[in-house]
Amino acid sequence: MIVDFRWSPEHVDFRENLRAFIRDWRTPELLQEYAETYGGGGERIGAFHRAIDERGWMRMCWPVEVGGGGRDTLYQYIFVEEMEYWGMPYGNLTFTSIAPSILAFGSEAQKQQYLPGIYRGELCFALGYSEPNAGTDLASLRTQATREGDEWVIQGQKIWTSLADVSTHIWLAVRTDPSASKHGGISIIIVPTDTPGVTIRPLHTMYGGHTNETFYDDVRVPLDHVVGEVNQGWPIIMHALNHERVALAATGALARIYDQLVDHLASEKADRLSDPVVRRSLAELQLELREHRALALRNAWIIAQGGTPISEASMAKISGTELRSGLANRAMDLLGRAGGLSADSLDGAPMDGRAEFNFRLSPIFRFGGGTNEVMRDIVAAAGLGLPR
Amino acid sequence: MNLDLTETQRLMQESLGGFLEAHVSLDQVRDLERNQGWDKALWKKLAEQGWLELVIRDGCEGADLVDLSLAVECLSRRAALVPFMEVAVCSRVLRASDADGATRSKIAEGDLVVTPALLEAVDDWNRIEAKVTSAGRLSGAKHFVDYGAEATHHLVAAKQDGEMGLFLVDANNARCEPLKTIGRTPSCQATYEAVPAERVAGEEAFIDMILLGRSLAALQCVGAMEEALEKTVQYARLREQFGQPIGRFQAVRHHCSDMAIRIASSRDLCFEAISALQAGNRDPLRPAAAKASASRAAPEVLMLAHQIHGGNGVIEENDLYFFTLRGKERSLAWGTVDECLEVIGERVDQPVDWL
Repeated sequence: MIVDFRWSPEHVDFRENLRAFIRDWRTPELLQEYAETYGGGGERIGAFHRAIDERGWMRMCWPVEVGGGGRDTLYQYIFVEEMEYWGMPYGNLTFTSIAPSILAFGSEAQKQQYLPGIYRGELCFALGYSEPNAGTDLASLRTQATREGDEWVIQGQKIWTSLADVSTHIWLAVRTDPSASKHGGISIIIVPTDTPGVTIRPLHTMYGGHTNETFYDDVRVPLDHVVGEVNQGWPIIMHALNHERVALAATGALARIYDQLVDHLASEKADRLSDPVVRRSLAELQLELREHRALALRNAWIIAQGGTPISEASMAKISGTELRSGLANRAMDLLGRAGGLSADSLDGAPMDGRAEFNFRLSPIFRFGGGTNEVMRDIVAAAGLGLPR
Repeated sequence: MNLDLTETQRLMQESLGGFLEAHVSLDQVRDLERNQGWDKALWKKLAEQGWLELVIRDGCEGADLVDLSLAVECLSRRAALVPFMEVAVCSRVLRASDADGATRSKIAEGDLVVTPALLEAVDDWNRIEAKVTSAGRLSGAKHFVDYGAEATHHLVAAKQDGEMGLFLVDANNARCEPLKTIGRTPSCQATYEAVPAERVAGEEAFIDMILLGRSLAALQCVGAMEEALEKTVQYARLREQFGQPIGRFQAVRHHCSDMAIRIASSRDLCFEAISALQAGNRDPLRPAAAKASASRAAPEVLMLAHQIHGGNGVIEENDLYFFTLRGKERSLAWGTVDECLEVIGERVDQPVDWL
């Protein structure tokens, strides 16, 4: 088969069906619930997830053995891109990062226990990685799990545990062997958020929502809540983070900012497209978005061929997250003073305030899921073979 | 959808790369450049080994343009001084009127070297003043006829009875005055005074030629960037300062990874453009995006390569400058960043098929 960047008719069909489905479900009430719960979910989101699952879309790319549809993973790329474009809740990191990790490392019992709930949208996982003194240097984490009989007893503190307050579980990275090497004594334990001893405290953010710090005080979970082997958690974290990066590189949300910007500037009220300077700025933004899309698509393609993009995932993560800041910033400049208005301002804001909101939101993507500086080191080492 | 090369294409790439490494000595390229020449010996060898078949054949599996592009990229990575891409874009035009295949075999044998003569004094694809009389005599002046003095023929864009066309002219009948370009590759200003000209195609072919030329020139930029990055990474591994390879310093590593990102996205935009042309899509957007991307990235990537090489990168004993100068020259050829962004800008009110 020769090089061809066009989608197959089957992929196009799927996208059209999905778009029609989203049009039916994209009500102001659903979007409001999404905004209020930050993807954690409520009644409407639950119903939406069930409707997605009835069509088999949530697990269409998972292996048939775990109840999946066994389709090529380009369908998942299309699914995520459309959901991101239209700003719809689809399980986010639980779906794009945790589910693949359970598939790769979980026991049969864990797959049976968690995967159906994830694809029905009933389960939501928060990521418990960072600690106050273990951020980019994640392997220095100190939250500890000690074995007592048939239980793990957890002590410690996590930070940036986003969604913990609306999640059913925390995907917790803990130290299970303090005498082992820095990377060698870490395990992943699944902790239900309603376990006694778990305390969640919100940290309010400049983008309107909140993240959390979480405290673990004598938290007890059964031994079989460990994912994979004990003390072998580091590769699982890396695997999950890699999936997170691929998801962070999605083009959909960025394309939507661009499209809304063009629509606004073309509108009768703004009428700015006759200005060649404006057209030139938009052409530059479109070009940068095309460049980023090429990287995102390449990742999707590598995964669909059964590969694991490492350097490529980092490249796309850098490009997509830096473009998000740049796009929001330059969109605001093109909107003029009104670019700084919030969606809930008097008489609303251009682009429903999407540029202004994304400007506030965008910093988290550049450092979340591994800072872009670490990403550049990964490209240099894994992609280019520079010495560490 | 398929974003991978076929096994045959990978082998072809490898084998052409090996062939060029064996037959193109960069010291010889240096000498040729200083004498403003071209690598006639290499052209002959390319013909003998059958590599020029790539520019004339329809291709197996209908992949002729992708094969062609891979060859253009390989040649650019080796700084080869041959008019491969120029002959390739002309051949696509000539083969339409070449029923018996005679022209094609002459091209494949390396005897017919035909290069495009399109732009005039004003750098504008829409302002073609060259004219052909009803008796078939062409008059006019063309700028930037690459390999114009070395070619046997020029394919000249001109108007006959107010209608755009492409005309084949014997290069011996043109007055070629060499230009000194930053790329140090042969180019000239050509003047034609009532010279015999044969009409071989119309306006549509002229437009298609620009779309293909633009995509291939973008890939030439990519080739220059790829080679510069490879040299830079090698250098950063070997060069030691403060007791360690400079490739261990984060500032250097980050420059290298930024170079890799620019190259990866530009290269895929090039192949997206090429594969669209292959599929018969004549939308100017993708070639323009590929060229805008590569033309914009090339100088930035090449300057980072120099930054990491320091003084060692600017001396002619080092090969880096080939790619710096050629990369920038190609970024201007077949559509600058500004021209290509204008193509995109003219179309911003049309919906984009992002997803």
